Amino acid sequence: MNTRDIVLIALFAAITVALGLAPRIPIAFLPVPITLQSLGPMLAGAMIGPVRGALSQALLVLLVALGLPVLAGGSGGLGMLAGPTAGFIFGWIVAAFITGMLCKMWIGQGSRSGQGKWPQVGLVFVACVIGGILALYVCGALWLAVVTGMGVMKAATGVAAFIPGDLVKAAFAALIAHNVRRAYPIELK
Amino acid sequence: MAVVRFENVVVEREGRISLQIPDLVLEEQRVAIAGLNGSGKSTLLRLINGLVTPTRGRVTVDGIDAAKEPRTVRRRVGFIFQNPDNQIVYPIVSEDIQFGLKNIGVAKSELPALAMKALSRLGIEHLAERQSHLLSGGEKQLVALAAVLAMAPATVLFDEPTSGLDLLNRNRVRDVLLGLGEQAIVATHDLGIVSAFDRMLVLDQGEIIMDRDPASAIAAYEARCA
Amino acid sequence: MNGSLNIPGHTLLHRLGAGWKLGALCLFGLILFATNHWIPLAIALAISLCLLASTGLSVAQARKQLTGPLFIVAFLMLATGLLVEPMQGIAVGLRLMALITAGYAVTLTTQVSALLEVIERLFRPLDRIGLVNSAQIALSVSLVFRFIPVLIDQARVIREAQAARGLDRNILALLVPLIVHVLRSADDIACAIDARAYPPPAPPRKRQVP
Repeated sequence: MNTRDIVLIALFAAITVALGLAPRIPIAFLPVPITLQSLGPMLAGAMIGPVRGALSQALLVLLVALGLPVLAGGSGGLGMLAGPTAGFIFGWIVAAFITGMLCKMWIGQGSRSGQGKWPQVGLVFVACVIGGILALYVCGALWLAVVTGMGVMKAATGVAAFIPGDLVKAAFAALIAHNVRRAYPIELK
Repeated sequence: MAVVRFENVVVEREGRISLQIPDLVLEEQRVAIAGLNGSGKSTLLRLINGLVTPTRGRVTVDGIDAAKEPRTVRRRVGFIFQNPDNQIVYPIVSEDIQFGLKNIGVAKSELPALAMKALSRLGIEHLAERQSHLLSGGEKQLVALAAVLAMAPATVLFDEPTSGLDLLNRNRVRDVLLGLGEQAIVATHDLGIVSAFDRMLVLDQGEIIMDRDPASAIAAYEARCA
Repeated sequence: MNGSLNIPGHTLLHRLGAGWKLGALCLFGLILFATNHWIPLAIALAISLCLLASTGLSVAQARKQLTGPLFIVAFLMLATGLLVEPMQGIAVGLRLMALITAGYAVTLTTQVSALLEVIERLFRPLDRIGLVNSAQIALSVSLVFRFIPVLIDQARVIREAQAARGLDRNILALLVPLIVHVLRSADDIACAIDARAYPPPAPPRKRQVP
């Protein structure tokens, strides 16, 4: 872990916080407006890799624990880490790790000039879906199930309503990752 | 004052030689380094504090190899970067000054006093509790300088210190440079701030093409660029 | 943004050590999960609410922080009540609110620096065996604080530039340049940190080689 790694970890934690400050988008039938913040773990994994990406989200969780209002809407504190959405918050660490791992395996170091644009974007999209949606929701649903006693399947069905919004976010994350890499290729650690 | 020595230094990047200095000794109080963008000025400076390692040869500071013992060298050689935004790493000014002091092993109890001393030296003690991101460009550059000077280096390297500063702040930095007791090695496009220096090197495509007193060097350099 | 959620004060909770509060919170959490019966859970919630009220919190602040979670808890109470059984729904509501309000009470009365110190102390044995590096953690926490406002400013600058091209509503046009900027800065920031002789001297290791 060199100095540059630490800086990247801190900066991507900062990006995730900044994403939470962007205006939230209310959707009619959902009890919670969708935020851009969940782009954070997907981008972190896709841009700086599994280990650094996961550590950036772990740093974010630490900031929440310290009582800083870094979650979307200015929330934070230990209450958030014990409440119903805690599984999602901790799940960002897993999401970044899995997204990063898959990107690293499928895209490798830097962009391969042999692959066209859309196949690469497609692979990153799938990585974001598996890491940033599937894995994240499993974590979120598991905690919900524990806290409500309603069983994982029911909890999972409940959170499924948010998936369409997150699919759009995953698509954005893939496009962003691709365009950034073209401007500034970076290894995935 | 430290003695900086380059011995048979070659820096290669992507198969090309980006800097080549067979033999150079820097021991003057004030040395200026000029040259077009890409001429190797920045690389030359970064060899001195070990941020860049030579592909061949070695750079020593008072006999210590910068590539082999960078942390020892960095206690004697400070570095001021072009963009002050990327040098201040703590959200409050006084904390940032203390960061460098912590790295050289200063005791916790002495940190606040030494930090204030460094700020007072440049007349910016009033900035001590300010938030870093609210400072002006010139203030940031002065804070970055205070942070480096706090570590009591023998030499300070400056990489384009006035680039991007308005005239007022550029003059403030120039005055600080001229009044500095420490040795200063300055890479710059702003020839006005180095006209009173002791020695000036001009680089072109990775080689030293001129090495003399600033007055004649500046005249010759400007003639080349005309 | 960016002050912590902590509020100044001299109440009982304020004066308790951070380590004790965290420990108590964990214990509290465990107890809450050990039972599903509404009576102990209701008592726990009552205690939490009293603790919260004792912190000197203003109604406006409470509303801001607790409204969102309250909605979610209400929704989950309903969902659990319908999908599992009504008593369970009530238990869930009581438990979640107790957890959230107790956690909030601790956050309100504990300074960031105190918490950081506790975390540092917890990590110290790991630090000694080289598994964790508290200097790195401290640096990265400061870096986040330092650069969040810089990112926000940079985002604004980019947005304004893109607005001139009619792209101000485009997320890509904002995030791509922002992230590229971040990656480029990272190199310089790392160099600047290294140039100031980072990392600091390591703390003395417990195991001495004889």
